[in-house]
Amino acid sequence: MLVVKDVSLSFGNVPVLAQMQLQAQPGELCVLMGANGAGKSTLLRTIAGEYKHYHGSILLNGQELHHMPVDAQARQRAVLSQQLNLQMPFTVAEVAAMGRYAYRAAERLYDKEIITYALKLLQVYDLKDRSYPTLSGGQQQRVQMARVLAQLLEAPDLHAMDYTGKKMLLLDEPVTGMDILHQQLALQLAVQLSRQGVLVIAVLHDFQLAAAYAQHIFLLKNGHVYAQGPVDTVLSPPHIKHCFGVDVSVLHHSLCAYPLVVTNTAATLFSSSALQATNAY
Amino acid sequence: MKRISLSILTTALVLVMIIAIGTGAMHMSPWQVIGILLKGIGIQLPVTYTEQMPAVLWMIRLPRVVLAVIIGAGLGVSGAALQGLFRNPLADPGLIGISAGASLTAAMLIVLHVFLPFMVSGSIFQTYAQNIITFLGAMLTVLIVFRMSVHGGRPIVSVMLLSGIAINALCSAFTGLMTYVADNEQLRNITFWTLGSLGGATWQTVLAVLPFVLIPVLMLPRMASALNVFALGEQEAMHSGVQVNRLKTQLIIYATMAVAAGVAVAGIIGFIGLVVPHIIRQFTGPDHHILIPSAALAGAILLTVADLLCRTIIAPAELPVGIITAITGAPVFIWLILKEKRLIAV
Repeated sequence: MLVVKDVSLSFGNVPVLAQMQLQAQPGELCVLMGANGAGKSTLLRTIAGEYKHYHGSILLNGQELHHMPVDAQARQRAVLSQQLNLQMPFTVAEVAAMGRYAYRAAERLYDKEIITYALKLLQVYDLKDRSYPTLSGGQQQRVQMARVLAQLLEAPDLHAMDYTGKKMLLLDEPVTGMDILHQQLALQLAVQLSRQGVLVIAVLHDFQLAAAYAQHIFLLKNGHVYAQGPVDTVLSPPHIKHCFGVDVSVLHHSLCAYPLVVTNTAATLFSSSALQATNAY
Repeated sequence: MKRISLSILTTALVLVMIIAIGTGAMHMSPWQVIGILLKGIGIQLPVTYTEQMPAVLWMIRLPRVVLAVIIGAGLGVSGAALQGLFRNPLADPGLIGISAGASLTAAMLIVLHVFLPFMVSGSIFQTYAQNIITFLGAMLTVLIVFRMSVHGGRPIVSVMLLSGIAINALCSAFTGLMTYVADNEQLRNITFWTLGSLGGATWQTVLAVLPFVLIPVLMLPRMASALNVFALGEQEAMHSGVQVNRLKTQLIIYATMAVAAGVAVAGIIGFIGLVVPHIIRQFTGPDHHILIPSAALAGAILLTVADLLCRTIIAPAELPVGIITAITGAPVFIWLILKEKRLIAV
C-alpha cells in the first residue's frame, strides 16, 4: 500500500505539488490524469524517489521512502519513464537484463528465464539480439517495458506468485508511441500485474484507455487531487471541464463496457473574434 | 566472446612487447628476448646472445616497454570509464581536462618545488608525492568540467566539450606562465612534459606509476554492471538500484588516477583513451564487463606500438610519443565527430 500524505514540492519558487494526499491499494490499476502541468509526472517521480526535497511523507508498505536505500527501493518498485535515451548499442536482451541489477546473487538464479519470459510477453523476444538504438520508438518502448517487468518479477511466470505488499510499478505514459494493439497489450499486462497484487500507478492521457482499464482514477489539478474514485464518478463532464477546460459528453453504448468520453466541439475553444480574424485573413 | 577477445588481446600484447623489447640500436631476435627473460626466472633456453644484451634488455628496454604497457592500460580503462560516465563515445581524458590539469600541476611542481620542503628530490617518495599532487590537480579540473556540463540531472555533451576547451585553455595559460618563469633546465622538463615521452623510463618510474594504474584496472571491472545500467540514464539507473552518486564519484576518481600518474612521469599522451574503447566496442559491443579489461589490454598494445614507432622512425633520434598519438588519434577523433554528429547536435 502506498500512502502519500501532505506532500508538497517546489522547483525554485514554483510549487508543483501542494499538500498532495493520495492512497493507493494493491490489486487496483490506478491512473493519474490531469492537464499538462497538473503535477502527474512530478508526483510519479517523487514516488519513484527522484526528488528528495519533498515535504510531507510517502509511505511504501509502511516504510518512509526517505529511509529506504536505493537498492531496497529498486527491489520493491520498478519505474518506466517517459523519455529514455539509450545510445550505446546494447542488444535487446542486454537491456532487459539490466532490470535484474538490484537483486542479490541468491535471488538471480532464474534471471535468464525471467528475462526471456518478459521479452516474450512483450512480443520482442525475436528482436533479442538486435541492437537497441536501431529499433523503432514503439519497439524500444516495449523493450523498456520488458526490462521493467524483469525488475518486478521474482519468477518466470506472471501468475506464479502473489505480490501483494511487495511490489509497486510506476508507469509514466507507458503507451505513448505504441500502436493500438500494443497499447492494449501493455495495459492488459498492467491489469494482470495488479491482479497479482502489484500496486500499479500509471499516468495516462487517453480517456478511452483510462476508462477501459483503470480501476481507480486520480484527477489532478494544480498539484493536488481534484477528484478520485472509479471511472464512472471521476470522468464526468463537469470534472473534465474544470480540469481540462474542454466541454465533453460521456456516452454509454451497448457494445462498449466502459463510458466513452468525446469532445463536443473543438471550435468553441477559440473565441469568436479570433475565428473571425482567421476567416477574414 | 569475452574469453576469446581477452585471450586474443593478451596474446597480441605479449607479441608486441617481445618485438618492442627486441627493437632498437642493438637488435635482438624474439627468441633472444624470450631466452633472456626466461633466464631471469631461472629457465635456460638454448639461445645464444651477446654479453651486453641482458644488460640492455633489463636496464633500458624492459622498463620502457613495461611503462608503456602500464600507462597505455591506464589511458584505455580511463577512456572506457569516462565514456560510460558521460554516456557518450566522445569523452576522453585529454578533452575533458584531466591531462591539462595534470600537466599544469606537473609544471607547477617542476618550477615551484624549491618552495616545497617535503619534495626531497631523487627518492621514490618524491615521485609518489609528485604523482599524488598531479592526481589531485587533474581531479580538480575534471570535477569542474563535469559540474559545468550537467544540466537537468544529465551531462550535456556539447557543454562538456566546451567546458573541456575552456579548462584546457585556462590550464595551458597557467602552464605558459610556468614556462615563462622557469629557468633553462625547468623549461626543458616542462617541454618534455607537454609533448609526452616515455624516454625517461626506469624501474623507479615504473614502480611509481604501477599502483595508480593497477587500482583502477582492478576496481573498474567491478563496476561494470552498474555502468551498463547507467547507460539508460541517471534517473533510470537510480530506479534500477544503482547508487548513482557513489558510482560517479568512484568513476571520476579511478579514471583520473589511471591517467594522472601516467601524465606525471610521461607527460600528455592524447587520444589513446578516446580511440581504444571505440575500436573495442566495434568487436565486443558496449558491455563494460568485456569493454574495460579489453580497453586496458588494447591501450597497452597501442601505446607500446606508438612508442616503438617513435623511437625507430627517425633512429637514432627519437620523437615524443605524444606527437605520434596525436597525429594518428586526431583524425580518428574527426571521423568520430562526423559519425556522431547527430548525437552532438542534440
